[in-house]
Amino acid sequence: MSLAQQGRRVVLAGLLLLGGVYVRALAFTPAQKIFYLHVPAAVTTELAVILVGLAGVFFLFLKDPRLDRFAEASAEVGTVFAGIVLTTGPIWGKPIWGTWWTWDARLTSTLFLFFLLISYHLLRGAVTDAGLRARYGAVLGICAVVLVGFIHLSVYLFPTLHPQPIVLRPGKPGLPPEMLVTLLLSFGVFLVLYVGFVMQRYAIALRREAASHG
Amino acid sequence: MAEGVPQNAGYLVAAYSVVPVILLAYAVSLYRRSTRP
Repeated sequence: MSLAQQGRRVVLAGLLLLGGVYVRALAFTPAQKIFYLHVPAAVTTELAVILVGLAGVFFLFLKDPRLDRFAEASAEVGTVFAGIVLTTGPIWGKPIWGTWWTWDARLTSTLFLFFLLISYHLLRGAVTDAGLRARYGAVLGICAVVLVGFIHLSVYLFPTLHPQPIVLRPGKPGLPPEMLVTLLLSFGVFLVLYVGFVMQRYAIALRREAASHG
Repeated sequence: MAEGVPQNAGYLVAAYSVVPVILLAYAVSLYRRSTRP
């Protein structure tokens, strides 16, 4: 079975598991239900970008094309998940804050991360030399990791409507157990989807390289 | 409004609909790109 086919199976499993998370979140978990989609998507986006940056750092030293392929795949999947964050966030914010959007530090920097990821793909598409493309991509990926750190700390550094972290913070998570379990299950499902998507995207990059060499 | 229906049900439906739409659209995009001759 090819890598793309394996990735498709992983994604299919992830989508079925997401159905299970929907049932648990909607029927058996109290209040703030958009939370179970928005937060796991945000954490998976941050994880995807951190992995892009790490792959970039190692690529600059090792020059291994597998790292560049992985970074490209992870950045694309991170862009999709960032799209979910930026869609579910305003839908969640409107009934609670009374506005779809506010230009505070957390929301603006998350939007900026989305644009940075788009520019990552535009940059890669614009550079024809494979070595240069990988090097530029690695540097931009490392810059994106710095932005992820800023996004995480922005709620502590600036006044914002956005709530402070309740799981990824020092000390115990500030959530009732049933909400925490649903959140962790949803995060697990988003991770499965991330892995499946990256496998497929990596296979596409491999295929393109083989086509360009042959 | 019917009793028991939360006031922000529309937002809930919107959020829970848009996520699978984005995920499925990306899955289809990957499938098409990987099977393109």
